[in-house]
Amino acid sequence: MNWLKELIHPSPILLGNGKSIQPKRSPSVIIVPIVIFLVLGSAIITEVDLVALFKRGYQFFVMIVRMIPPNWSYYKNVITPLIATIMMSVIGTLLGAILSLPLAFLSANNIIKNKWFLNINRGAFSIFRTLPVLVYALVFRFIFGPGAFAGTLAIGLFTWTIMTKMLYELIETVDMGPFEAIESSGASRLKAFRVAIIPQILGQYISMMLYNFEMNVRSAAILGYVGAGGIGMLMNEKLALREYDKLGLILLFLLLTVYIIESVSRLIRERLN
Amino acid sequence: MIQFINVKKTYPGNVHALKGINLTIEPGEFVAIIGLSGAGKSTLLRSINQMHTITDGQLLVNGLDVTKLKGKELRQFRRHIGMVFQSFNLVKRTTVIKNVLAARVAEMPMWSSLLGLYAKKDKIKALEALDQVGILEKAYVRADQLSGGQQQRVALARCLAQDPQIILADEPVASLDPLTSQTVMQDFVRINKSLGITVIANMHHVDIATKYASRIIGIKAGEIVFDGPSSTLTHDDLTNIYGRELSKDDIKGDM
Amino acid sequence: MSEAVRKKLKEAPKTWILNWIVVFGLAYVVYLSLPYIEFNGIFEQGSIIARNIILGIFKPNLSLLIDFSSKDAVPYLMLETVAIAFLGTLFGAILAIPLAFLSSRNIVPKKATYITTFLIAVIRTFPAFVYGLMFIRVTGPGPFTGVLTLGVSSIGMIAKLYVEFIEDLDKGIIEALDASGCNTIQKIRYGVIPQLMGNFVSTTLYRFEINVKNATILGLIGAGGIGGPIMFALGGYRWNDLGALLIGLVVIVLIIESISVRLRKKLAVGE
Repeated sequence: MNWLKELIHPSPILLGNGKSIQPKRSPSVIIVPIVIFLVLGSAIITEVDLVALFKRGYQFFVMIVRMIPPNWSYYKNVITPLIATIMMSVIGTLLGAILSLPLAFLSANNIIKNKWFLNINRGAFSIFRTLPVLVYALVFRFIFGPGAFAGTLAIGLFTWTIMTKMLYELIETVDMGPFEAIESSGASRLKAFRVAIIPQILGQYISMMLYNFEMNVRSAAILGYVGAGGIGMLMNEKLALREYDKLGLILLFLLLTVYIIESVSRLIRERLN
Repeated sequence: MIQFINVKKTYPGNVHALKGINLTIEPGEFVAIIGLSGAGKSTLLRSINQMHTITDGQLLVNGLDVTKLKGKELRQFRRHIGMVFQSFNLVKRTTVIKNVLAARVAEMPMWSSLLGLYAKKDKIKALEALDQVGILEKAYVRADQLSGGQQQRVALARCLAQDPQIILADEPVASLDPLTSQTVMQDFVRINKSLGITVIANMHHVDIATKYASRIIGIKAGEIVFDGPSSTLTHDDLTNIYGRELSKDDIKGDM
Repeated sequence: MSEAVRKKLKEAPKTWILNWIVVFGLAYVVYLSLPYIEFNGIFEQGSIIARNIILGIFKPNLSLLIDFSSKDAVPYLMLETVAIAFLGTLFGAILAIPLAFLSSRNIVPKKATYITTFLIAVIRTFPAFVYGLMFIRVTGPGPFTGVLTLGVSSIGMIAKLYVEFIEDLDKGIIEALDASGCNTIQKIRYGVIPQLMGNFVSTTLYRFEINVKNATILGLIGAGGIGGPIMFALGGYRWNDLGALLIGLVVIVLIIESISVRLRKKLAVGE
């Protein structure tokens, strides 16, 4: 058991010239047992059932195989919900992005000096940021009825919370020199902000908008599941009916759409930087 | 005309940045303020356009008591005072002309300035200002592609676009090499003489101050210890202002 | 106005044309999409529901919130959600390692990486909930399905980020070890792993944060965690329960976020 004692309390090393060095205990000694404990604990809580996985795991691949080849003739039913999904993301992202501008302005510590106001603002947004977009979609679906409106609003609200944080962090890195210069020329703070700060952040602001748009198109696909419009509802149907070939087509179209959007977005974002 | 009457600035914690400044500057003068860092040069300069406030005394600009100005009146007052900074303070990512046009927004209505819609007369004014400092040809170039000296001239053009009566310069050439510094200072002199604009400059380097300014004000620990034509500045005066012999940091060189 | 100025004025680049095209184009796209987003007006019920939700949040069902012994109460659900995210992320992170190495251009020949990178992209495109619905048919509803779903759906993003780190490897260190006579295993242990470890852990933590949120979403389709009860409370108009659950949700995410941020900062600065 000596090696165990060495791990926990390493003994000092004696050098040739008489000096001794006390090596530090390796952090793994603490980390590894903790990780093992966490893994075992989680496995119990989540009712890990490896037996079932091995017995029925092949079904997963059966489903995938049935998706190929996709059912091409089904495309007509896919187009409309797909467009709805994209549109929800466009409008939702725009909404969120535009609303985040004033709020970010009010949450940046180089614009607003009042610590109380700043912290309350940021705190409120932190709380809203924790809610996944699907929760918003669910709530809005209950309030506004099923359909894309609830989904768009959910995306808008969600994007708002995310972009405000990204934006105020950006505003805080800005060079305030030109702002001071324009203020000294007699312009109001708002005008100085527009002319000295916005040009510094515009490129990255648009970049953020595009990035959020990419993410939102993906989530928009899911929102349909709770009845908030888009292609999610269709996907769920097809799965339930075990029409995997049609599901395969939907997924293929989704893949293509997301790929195109991401590529275009990446191109634009590279040019902006 | 600028009048300081027993102006004091005290920071919390009993730090006396300015201790009873009495000073009169007539229109059209070219004044250089010299002294150690922390002696009060910046506070003095910036109190003129109220970028720093004062705690006691009277500060009159053209008869107006500037300490009483707030909000809209303060902004109106600042419109005809230009300011040039050591680090140029240009928006690096935009073009030269956009930087100069930024000086016009103070006079423009809210919507036009928010949307960036500059009238033709504003654009002409901006171009003329650039012409006056000799970099008209760089008008549509991005600001960060210019050299330091060129950027400072853009900053100067930005001031000129305000039609200023006074230009305050806070160590305008401290970041520039000796040769470029001379070109920029010559621009200041030209503007001062041909347009009659009062120029007040904080200068870090004594030789440049004496070469280009007609009047020198020496500040030491918040008080004025020298005030007179630059030709009358002696070695002893300098030792008094700086409290020591001049080092090579206080001289730009290449003159 | 002098001749030079007049000339310069004419030279102004017409960038504003592009700007207006983009703005109008966008406005047009928005206009086109409006019909897809029918606004049916707020149901009469709608505003009542909104008010009730808010009331429910401010007066949450405290017994649900504080009950540490019941499996249906908030604390256990929070724990379950975190456990699902933890195991799922770990699972995904481990599976992502070989996939990432096989997609890195400095490990595997370029032609081969096209296949593996494509594979990663395909895995990434499937929304997590599709995996969820598929896995439900394999292991039934319940938290384990959530683990599997999160695992598979995480592979994509984690592998992509791992690849960026692997391709950034400093060859110099490995060459130095080579020169001093190390064999392959030693080179990996002392040259490769130390460089990657910090970044891998950081990436995994980042994904863990995201997965905690995803775990709550998966609950909505029946894969365990706090999402399911949220759906049921909403559908059953049990506003106070909903309030308690939402508070629980916000609290877990905030806690995990702050721990993760602090840990990642420590990793970035150096252990």
